[in-house]
Amino acid sequence: MTTYGIVADLNRCIGCQTCTSACKHANATAPGIQWRKVLDFETGEFPIVNRAFVPVGCMHCEEPSCRDVCPTRATRKRDDGIVTIDYDVCIGCAYCAVSCPYQARSRVDKPSAAYGGKAMRHEALREEPARLGVAQKCTLCVDRIDEGRANGLVPGVDAVATPACVASCISGALQMGDLDDPDSNVSQLLRTKRHFRMHEELGNGPNTYYLYDSETSDVAEPEEVPYVAEPVGLAAVSPKLQTNWDWRAAANFTFGGTGTGLMVAAAATTMPGPTLWLGMFLALAFVGTGLTCIWFEIGRPWRFLNVFLNPRTSWMSREAMAAVPFFGFGGLGWLLGSNLLLILSALSGLAFLYSQARILRAAKGIPAWRHPAIVPLVISTGLTEGAGALAILSLVIGAEIIRFGALALAALLLLRLWFWTRYRSGLAHDGAPTGVFAAFNAGHIGLAAMPQTILITIAVIAVVIPAGQGEALALAGLGAMLTGWDFKHTLITRAAFNQGYAINKMPARGAGQSRAGIKPGWHKA
Amino acid sequence: MKVDVMDGVPVQIRPNATAAAVHPAHGKVCVKAFGLIQKTNNPNRIKTPMIRTNPNKGRDEDPQFRGATWDEALELICGKLNQAKAKGLMDESGFPRVAASFGGGGTSTVYMGTFPAFLKAWGAIDMSFGSGQGVKCYHSEHLYGEFWHRAFTVSPDTPLVEMIISFGANVEASGGVCGVRRHADARDRGAKRVQVEPHLSITGACSAEWLPIRPKTDPAFMFALLHVLLHEAERDRLDVPFLKDRSSSPYLVAPNGFYLRDPDSQKPLIWDLKSGAAVPFDTKGTDPAIEGDYSVSGLEVGPDDIEWRHDGITCQPAFAHLVEHVQPYSPAWAAEICDVPEEMIRKTALDYLHHAHVGETIEINGKEMPFRPVAISLGKTVSNGWGGFECAWARTLMAVLIGGLEVPGGTLGTTVRLNRPADNRWSSVVPGPDGFMNYPMNPTKKGQFRETSPSRHAHQTLIPLAANSPWSQALGPTHLAWMAQKEEFENLPKPTQPDVWFVYRTNPVISFWDTGAVADVIANFPFTVCFAYTHDETNHMADVLLPECTDLEGLQLIRVGGSKYVEQFWEHQGFALRDPAAKPMGEARDFTWIATQLAKGTGLLAEYNQGINKGAAGVRFFGEGYDFSLDPEQEHSVETVWDHACKAASAELTKGVESQGLDYFREHGFRTIPFPKERWYLYPAMVEKGLRFELPYQERLLRIGQELGERLHEIGITWWDRQLKEYEAMPHYQDLPQMWKDAQERQYDVKIGDYPFWLLTARSMQYSWGGNAGIQMIHEVAANVAGHGGVVMNPQAAAKLGLSEGDEVDVYSPTGSTRGAVILRHGIRPDTLLMIGQFDHWKTPFAKDLKTPSMNSLTPMSLELTDATGSGADLVRVAVRKIGDAA
Repeated sequence: MTTYGIVADLNRCIGCQTCTSACKHANATAPGIQWRKVLDFETGEFPIVNRAFVPVGCMHCEEPSCRDVCPTRATRKRDDGIVTIDYDVCIGCAYCAVSCPYQARSRVDKPSAAYGGKAMRHEALREEPARLGVAQKCTLCVDRIDEGRANGLVPGVDAVATPACVASCISGALQMGDLDDPDSNVSQLLRTKRHFRMHEELGNGPNTYYLYDSETSDVAEPEEVPYVAEPVGLAAVSPKLQTNWDWRAAANFTFGGTGTGLMVAAAATTMPGPTLWLGMFLALAFVGTGLTCIWFEIGRPWRFLNVFLNPRTSWMSREAMAAVPFFGFGGLGWLLGSNLLLILSALSGLAFLYSQARILRAAKGIPAWRHPAIVPLVISTGLTEGAGALAILSLVIGAEIIRFGALALAALLLLRLWFWTRYRSGLAHDGAPTGVFAAFNAGHIGLAAMPQTILITIAVIAVVIPAGQGEALALAGLGAMLTGWDFKHTLITRAAFNQGYAINKMPARGAGQSRAGIKPGWHKA
Repeated sequence: MKVDVMDGVPVQIRPNATAAAVHPAHGKVCVKAFGLIQKTNNPNRIKTPMIRTNPNKGRDEDPQFRGATWDEALELICGKLNQAKAKGLMDESGFPRVAASFGGGGTSTVYMGTFPAFLKAWGAIDMSFGSGQGVKCYHSEHLYGEFWHRAFTVSPDTPLVEMIISFGANVEASGGVCGVRRHADARDRGAKRVQVEPHLSITGACSAEWLPIRPKTDPAFMFALLHVLLHEAERDRLDVPFLKDRSSSPYLVAPNGFYLRDPDSQKPLIWDLKSGAAVPFDTKGTDPAIEGDYSVSGLEVGPDDIEWRHDGITCQPAFAHLVEHVQPYSPAWAAEICDVPEEMIRKTALDYLHHAHVGETIEINGKEMPFRPVAISLGKTVSNGWGGFECAWARTLMAVLIGGLEVPGGTLGTTVRLNRPADNRWSSVVPGPDGFMNYPMNPTKKGQFRETSPSRHAHQTLIPLAANSPWSQALGPTHLAWMAQKEEFENLPKPTQPDVWFVYRTNPVISFWDTGAVADVIANFPFTVCFAYTHDETNHMADVLLPECTDLEGLQLIRVGGSKYVEQFWEHQGFALRDPAAKPMGEARDFTWIATQLAKGTGLLAEYNQGINKGAAGVRFFGEGYDFSLDPEQEHSVETVWDHACKAASAELTKGVESQGLDYFREHGFRTIPFPKERWYLYPAMVEKGLRFELPYQERLLRIGQELGERLHEIGITWWDRQLKEYEAMPHYQDLPQMWKDAQERQYDVKIGDYPFWLLTARSMQYSWGGNAGIQMIHEVAANVAGHGGVVMNPQAAAKLGLSEGDEVDVYSPTGSTRGAVILRHGIRPDTLLMIGQFDHWKTPFAKDLKTPSMNSLTPMSLELTDATGSGADLVRVAVRKIGDAA
């Protein structure tokens, strides 16, 4: 087997950005897009300060989360370990971008010129329309590797068969080669130098290794990287708010959750009472609106059918597949007046809602999303919002679901509050970017205990006090829905800080000593 | 490097792997080279000659350039030149009527084709209007380095070194790809570098230790290192044989501070421990004493050959004087001044001694040589301006004490510029007086002294060490030329403006000090010709803009390898061809074509061609067994000129056996032969010629300093008196920070307490010498390196001023102000601010929109802060206020 990987010697790297520039040349990336770049880290306080430079790009992981989440199978991993993107298949949903914990992916929707206006001669000649509106990242200069190998050359040894960044590296810091070959240049380096992999704990198995000291130096093995909640001067390497998914994606989670929740609630009311056809219709409309919003967000909307291509591993494909029976059964049920179809639609809605929760859980690049506690929270808020919507609807149409509905809503509110509390304590315990906590604390009503307690109280009042039951229940329902929406909007657009970067160890420079690294912009209780 | 071309358009830069075997950095190219694609295709380029139509010049004047043909532009320029020639090459003050300014420490010559041949054909040219020389270079190192060990530039023997003490030298940013690769290799094999610098630069980041020293106190640290070696270490840990045989340590010093000499031969005397008598220094079979008191008689020769006879006086060898001289400079003393713990200073000195391997040898190409793998590097602000002499002296002396000067592993000079021949350091080792190397000082003796200089900065009058080579003008006090345009210097010839000023690859309105004042001066020049790439701040005042081919469009053969500058000492030497990768954009023309037309238009074609034949374009066209000279009377095409150059280069490398021309170089790119590694080191040449390094004692400088003072006073110049004090036999410590504060207070009548920060600058590898402030891609990638684009500040200092990351601030000195965003980093002293690179553009496209601050507009041109070599330093006291706050 062959597994190509990169080894970056942090003792050698000077942060010159020659690799960054060579990559831009070799791949004709747009202004501002850097498939490879070198980060500038600083640790300590004056006068004991260390500074190190860390080349980053696609890590061509052993288990690439970008591949697993890709709904189209545009992202694949070759037998030689290189993670590739098929620009002709990708729909530009950017799910891979938010799922990469190394911020290696980007999407460019329009051609841009370095000096604005008309493209320069070389820019015009090297425009790649296929790369617009789809995911892009380091290819490990796969064309050079393939052409080189076809000509009997060895990638990592022969310059023309070696990625441009490595071939251009002036300090000899970047090396590339076959990690499976014990005699390769990279394997030899890994045997003789201490090394780490960034964000190893996330389990992607990045095939980029960082050398930080000699094997013979007397240093402790890498421990957990120290968190620095508010680092000074490290904004460039600290977690940043993701920009791939905006309000349109938030709308999909908001309306998708509420709609499927409403469908479930509507189906549930058929047991003790009459079928709420209006609720069913609204549920379909909610989910449809959410999906329309997301359609406007993807870079290649007319390829949207490709979303069904990867149900094997992608929760986005599964979400799409769940949407089909949801609308099918729901639509038919509404047309035919069939409670059975309504129930089948509600079950599909549950699958849709679960898939949405798992979409977030699988987005490894966003700590606030990937936390395990997000799954019950997203499901519970969807159901709560749906119940809330139904409560409002009941008031409008005068349906008799009050006592049962109020009880159910109170229970769901309580359940959601519990999952929210679990989620928050889980984040605090496991750690997350400082900005996540700030976003959730920043004056949004959200799922905080106080408003939720009030809502639960109102719902309980609706159960036990006959006067104004409908109004009280509708009020609690409105609150349940709006606070859920506020939470999800915050989650997708304001708390969605990416992983950021970390350096496990500051390298030994020459005869110097390696020192503790830093995970900037992260907080843990 | 290699360039990928699509449809005739250069699209991609690649390293040249075929050069890996001969190039110390394996054929890799620097990040700046990757900017050349955008540089070539930049829509902001000037694509046709342009002529100014608005006679009024100044920052606020629109030049109203109009497009012109080459014929029209050349006719205009040659007309001005011919008018100047008709009046005589020199004006009424004795200054050349034609001036020229070039950028980049000599790198311009590898882009300007045969223009040097035109300048040579023309005759007197004034190069005194500096674009950064004396403050952005290693000025004192250039002069003293060349004086002491033919080291216009100095480098550790990085391929062998074990320990480097680096005082602000930012080699990772300025050492080129060879420096970067070699230092990375050195780190990889466990070499230790201690970076002594007020901020944690790129080089500091890559060092084993960072010692954040108080700005401009480096001499104290270095004197303390000397103290430790001389007062705290056992004497036999020094290289005593080297001191006895290869230095001036044994020379006996007479009461007036000059050597005690043999009355007959006038040779300096040493005390021979074998015979127990004073004998001339070059007596065979002696065992020279370097310490002790000796009763001796002899002759002492002072300035202007004044003589004193001494009988039975007690004298000490120079080394003993050194020991006494550095006695007060203990680590404890230095710690207070430098704000660096005493123990760190002592440890650094002892580490240096430990790694020196005194007594060990190494074989280089079959020659056994001393092996001393330790060195000290100096940065620009350290080796410029006051304190530069102290640092250069202490650094070189530290090498001498352990026998590490010009030997494997140690401190090397890597090029000569002021001595001859400039292409061979060994041949430049010419015996001079008293067993030392010769040096072509500008004379200070009565009758030989040059009361005037053929330059507007009086370099031959004021700076004996500046010598008189083609490089000398650039090593004069270039700011004096700018200052004199505003205020006359008493008893120097009346300052005049050049009739014609050529500007190439430089932008002094951005790159000099007190840039506002420089702009005002340039606006008054009567006729300025700028070889222009885009509009910029200097060519905004020009009369004619000439678009020349950029790096990827012009043809030129360039000498590479050998021992060239800083880390450019190779095991190969030869030539590389810069072959056009694209046709010129618009009407841009090859520089060789432009030079030929200027020569033709000024009636200098024959002299110009003869200049090319003699090597003005980088290679002599004739030699033993070959002659590819151009017909002097004919105009030759660009390709013909370089074809002849290629043939001559082939012949030079093969001793006349082969003569392949342009086609060969186009196919192969370069051609080299081995450069013997032993020639990296001057030591074998010194041994062969029985010479000594002129350290530790500076008897010669003491003498010429006193003579210079006499001469200057004779012509009524007293304003250089402060500079005369630098001519000491051994430098004393001066409180440099206080000197800066006092000078600023006096010059601008301000309270220095109102300016609480030291402002420094640092090189940016992405920008320096690149002329690429207007290149988008460079800006994009440079932004990944912290510090670019703003004011770097310590968080504690910022907090005291209520400043946060990203706050827009106004940084001001009495000279001017500059604006930028606060960048917080712990790796800088709280009393120091840093602005990387040179910006503050207001005209250059793209760059003018960056809003990047620059210290150049804040640094005063100051006679008081000019040292004896004519340099100042990038250092100024400043204050900071948040934009929006009341002044």
